[in-house]
Amino acid sequence: MQGFALYPFDPPGDVAARRDELRAWLAVNQPQGDIVARANCWASFDADFSRALGAAGYVGMTLPARYGGGDRHPLERYVVIEELLAAGAPVGAHWIADRQTGPLILRYGSEEQRERYLPGIAKGELYACIGLSEPGAGSDLAAVRTTARETAAGWRINGQKIWTTGAHFSHIMLALVRSEEGSERGAGLSQLLIDLDTPGITIRPIIDMAGHHDFNEVFFDDVLVPHGALVGTRGQGWQQVTAELGLERSGPERYLSSHALLAALIDAAGADPDPAVASLIGELAAEMWTLRRLSMSTAAKLAAGEDPMVEASVVKELGNAFEQDMPRRVQAIVTSGWDDPDDLARLLRALLIASPSFSLRGGTREVIRGIIARGLGLR
Amino acid sequence: MSAAREMLCDTARAVFAEAAPAGMGPIEEAGFALLLVPEDAGGFGGDWGDVNAVLQIAGVVVPDLPVAELIVNDALQPAATVSLMAGAMGQALALSIEHVNTRQQFGRPLGKFQAVQQSLAVMACEVRAVEAAAAALAARLDAVGLDVAAAEFEIAATKLRANRAVGVVTAIAHQVHGAIGFTREYELSRVTIPLMRWRGAHGNDAYWAQLLGRQVAEFGGKGLWEALTAR
Ligand SMILES: Cc1cc2nc3c(=O)[nH]c(=O)nc-3n(C[C@H](O)[C@H](O)[C@H](O)COP(=O)(O)OP(=O)(O)OC[C@H]3O[C@@H](n4cnc5c(N)ncnc54)[C@H](O)[C@@H]3O)c2cc1C
Repeated sequence: MQGFALYPFDPPGDVAARRDELRAWLAVNQPQGDIVARANCWASFDADFSRALGAAGYVGMTLPARYGGGDRHPLERYVVIEELLAAGAPVGAHWIADRQTGPLILRYGSEEQRERYLPGIAKGELYACIGLSEPGAGSDLAAVRTTARETAAGWRINGQKIWTTGAHFSHIMLALVRSEEGSERGAGLSQLLIDLDTPGITIRPIIDMAGHHDFNEVFFDDVLVPHGALVGTRGQGWQQVTAELGLERSGPERYLSSHALLAALIDAAGADPDPAVASLIGELAAEMWTLRRLSMSTAAKLAAGEDPMVEASVVKELGNAFEQDMPRRVQAIVTSGWDDPDDLARLLRALLIASPSFSLRGGTREVIRGIIARGLGLR
Repeated sequence: MSAAREMLCDTARAVFAEAAPAGMGPIEEAGFALLLVPEDAGGFGGDWGDVNAVLQIAGVVVPDLPVAELIVNDALQPAATVSLMAGAMGQALALSIEHVNTRQQFGRPLGKFQAVQQSLAVMACEVRAVEAAAAALAARLDAVGLDVAAAEFEIAATKLRANRAVGVVTAIAHQVHGAIGFTREYELSRVTIPLMRWRGAHGNDAYWAQLLGRQVAEFGGKGLWEALTAR
């Protein structure tokens, strides 16, 4: 990792003008609901907003126009995403489809799959979920046991996924399954694109500690999907999933999920804050600025076709630490009570409760550090 | 890195190595004082990207010589210190990796133990953050023609970030080295002691946190994002 240089973040076109357009669009179209929904807003579901965003050309931006996409550069999308997150817009409904399922279908999917799913994704109307984790396969993802057997009629699926965010509102699941009988670990896995209204699928809610219904258990009981549900190459599921995880680790959501709290702290502090508050704001701003530069550099590398697996993991690790630290440190110096009705107190409580998940979802802290250690040549 | 900068770095490495036992003489003779002086004024015509690269090398090879003072004016010393720190932290990380890959205990290299791996991953994140901040600061300083006032936000953020990394980086580097790292002979302390010194020089954590916090308070909650994205 010696000799680090920032990769230039250079999207085509007039970035400042695009930002202004989007800010003006949000001023009109962003729902004015509860401020708490602006924190961790990529978990906030709002189908109307997703549809409006899609109609305005802000979903599926990097997909080709022939599939309804915007033919935009990945860094143009990055700018849009960071604006949406900083504004706390409710992007949860289409988030996963836009961020990873769409690009993955474009990369590995068949022509039929692209034509069938990508236009709906780009409209902000077709939602996807990620079927990786199982009761026996968490950090140890290669222990996946859900099976898919190829029969004359198609793939027959049996097993269970768990912690599946958004399965209850999604149309499709991209699932990692064991397609080869008797196979072990990373070999013999495949990715299937499963329509969630297929008979034999049962989705049960799991209520999280905040009282929200975001994730689910999904059971497959002799579920039959067509041969055409296979994504990419049979038996290459592990390699494809690893690439998919790279897409999800370094984005601006890793340091902007709690931005609403930082903004509320700054507003509550006023123009002449007391020294302890000023210090905290200064430290948080320094970290955020640094993370943004790292994340932008990593995005630019990804866009240039490189594979910055280690850097993406550094962004996630530092971003998670920043976002878990922030509510704790804010709580340590503000006088708000747990049940106070003001914005700062409510955002604080919501993020204290939400933040343990930040270093679990998308790869745990320990797994991420392991990836970094491998990059250092230690494993 | 451009070919010109690479040549500059090669020169810096050679000259600094000579200066390490000899003092500032070779560095002055090689003309490093002219690094930022425009070409038409008889200088090298370098930018802050060049200064950042050269001072990262100085932070490793000659951390105790006043190279930054030779190259840049007082107002830019906080920015220069960040580059020295980034270089020294990179070296602390490199020494740590090398050490845990060679030192064996319990029949294995230390680096095979997960606890050691996880510590070094934490350290690498800090080093990477400081390197990124130093590079982003260089881009800002070059964009505004080294106008310190126009880059005050970035200078404050970068020095503060680098200061905060010092504690983590020096602690983990020494921990994974064991007693050998605590000796005068072994080279780790040649970068960790300067890191401790630089944390307090040209603005400690409290100084920059106050300055930055007050500036951000003036931006306001929404204004922070607007200010960040406008720069
Ligand atoms: C909010 C949220 C949303 C999620 N959404 C999805 C989703 O949409 N789709 C999906 O498939 N999954 C999802 N997940 C699941 C997530 O990917 C898993 O929680 C994660 O992979 C960890 O698995 P686990 O929970 O079984 O923990 P475990 O693997 O049991 O780990 C428990 C602890 O032990 C540590 N640990 C485990 N193994 C080791 C080791 N070898 N060395 C050191 N430490 C170790 C872990 O780091 C962790 O700290 C979600 C999780 C959360 C919290």
